[in-house]
Amino acid sequence: MTTMDTLEKPFELGFTYTRSTGPVIGHFLGALAEHRILGVRGSDGRVLVPPPEFDPVTAAPLDEWVELATEGVVLSWCWVAQPRASHPLQEAFAWIMVQLDGADVPMIHCLRAPAMSAVRSGARVRACWVAEPVGRITDLCCFELVEGDKA
Amino acid sequence: MAERAAVVGIGQTRYKSKRQDVSMAGLLREAVDRALADAGVSFDDIDAVIMGKAPDMFEGVVMPESYLADALGAVGKPMLRVHTAGSVGGSTAIVAASHVQSGSFRRVLAVTWEKQSESNAMWALSTPQPFAVHLNAGAGGYFAPIIREYMRRSGADPNTGIRVAVKDRRHGARNPLAHLQLPDITEQEVADSPMLWDPIRFLEACPSSDGACAMVIAAEDALSGDKPPAWIQGVAMRSEPTMYAGREEVNPQAGRDCAADVYAQAGIRDPRRELDCAEIYVPFSWYEPMWLENLGFADEGEGWKLTLSGATSLDEGGDIPWNCSGGVLSSNPIGASGMIRFAEAARQVRGDAGDHQVPGARKALGHAYGGGAQFFAMWVVGADRP
Repeated sequence: MTTMDTLEKPFELGFTYTRSTGPVIGHFLGALAEHRILGVRGSDGRVLVPPPEFDPVTAAPLDEWVELATEGVVLSWCWVAQPRASHPLQEAFAWIMVQLDGADVPMIHCLRAPAMSAVRSGARVRACWVAEPVGRITDLCCFELVEGDKA
Repeated sequence: MAERAAVVGIGQTRYKSKRQDVSMAGLLREAVDRALADAGVSFDDIDAVIMGKAPDMFEGVVMPESYLADALGAVGKPMLRVHTAGSVGGSTAIVAASHVQSGSFRRVLAVTWEKQSESNAMWALSTPQPFAVHLNAGAGGYFAPIIREYMRRSGADPNTGIRVAVKDRRHGARNPLAHLQLPDITEQEVADSPMLWDPIRFLEACPSSDGACAMVIAAEDALSGDKPPAWIQGVAMRSEPTMYAGREEVNPQAGRDCAADVYAQAGIRDPRRELDCAEIYVPFSWYEPMWLENLGFADEGEGWKLTLSGATSLDEGGDIPWNCSGGVLSSNPIGASGMIRFAEAARQVRGDAGDHQVPGARKALGHAYGGGAQFFAMWVVGADRP
């Protein structure tokens, strides 16, 4: 019986896609272009950000908007000492779970920090924005430590 | 069949080329909210959620079921995604029906959709594959030679496809949800439209639509809503390989077997006489005469004569109207298209099909096919409890 080696070849496939963001995600993205971060109040009273279009508990449509501070607190973090090309920052940085003031849930984002020793749970951080926001999630490019934070 | 099951709620969006005002989740919810309202129930009354759509690569949303669990009220419940290419809408309805027929679920929500405006269905359907020759054809290019072979074998009148294209668009003009609204379309217009994939002209092909369709299927002890239930009298699915070189593609065995199975369950011996109407997956006009034969409404080689006689036309008072809703030729949100056939069959036997109602319809066939005409899904629904 004749057998063959395992077949192998490079393969790439690509398409252009679009997304209609709808009334909730679209509103959130539009606010980001104005350097504002909006959450939405869920059925249990918690303020959720990024905002889900439908309630994660009851599935009801959500539309009670809450404007949040662009500052918050680090709940937990993980240092990335050697970023790779696809990481959001090209210098050593921290992934953080950040809870914005006014929100009841944290979200994951990245923190620009001078050194791992500067990062701690409980640190105050503020949002940094790209120079020319366009209404994409990447308008909020990263967080940075609030100077003189004594919390 | 085990436990009796019936369709008690149906919800559809208006089908359009672009619904840029809503997200995918929002689009689905329009159909789901309407189906729940039609059934007079809320998410609390739903025991499981079954969803279906065409391949993920169409919109590029991988595993949309994970993104949609909250929007579809599936939190804390079983949720299942069905995949059978273009027939998925029909398969999804059957999986939902089977859940109820199993006796383990009292009410199941089934929902399907496609947002073709955000997708690349034409080319995502026939992607290059590693280690294989690339068939860069799309659906029309794939089916065109099969239609040619049907024309050769049957000696059909070459205008048959044009007749179907006009008939289904005139049906669609009776249905306010239909994407294409072409009440004044003429055979000359169809004949003059560009030849896309010989012998399929532009107006003999389905449109690209955004839309969603949902149904609530309930057990006999969980019927609800103000409208009569559409009793499920039989369900069947069959499959066969696409690439098998010896396959009969004009009149696929899986389609014939699937029809025989669903007719046997519903006690049907002569589908043309015993069914009042049918919603059949006809994305290209010539598939009407081909499926008339495959599904036993006409003898082999004779389907085109039935079409030309007007038997399948509601406007001409035909005895077995096909695709009174306008069919896939009038609306094609791919993942939903099969379910729309199943839902429109149910609307007919509920007496709830509006201006495209077949007077007195009591028994109807819903049909879907997908892949390279290799997946078949069918159900018979009736006004009478089986």
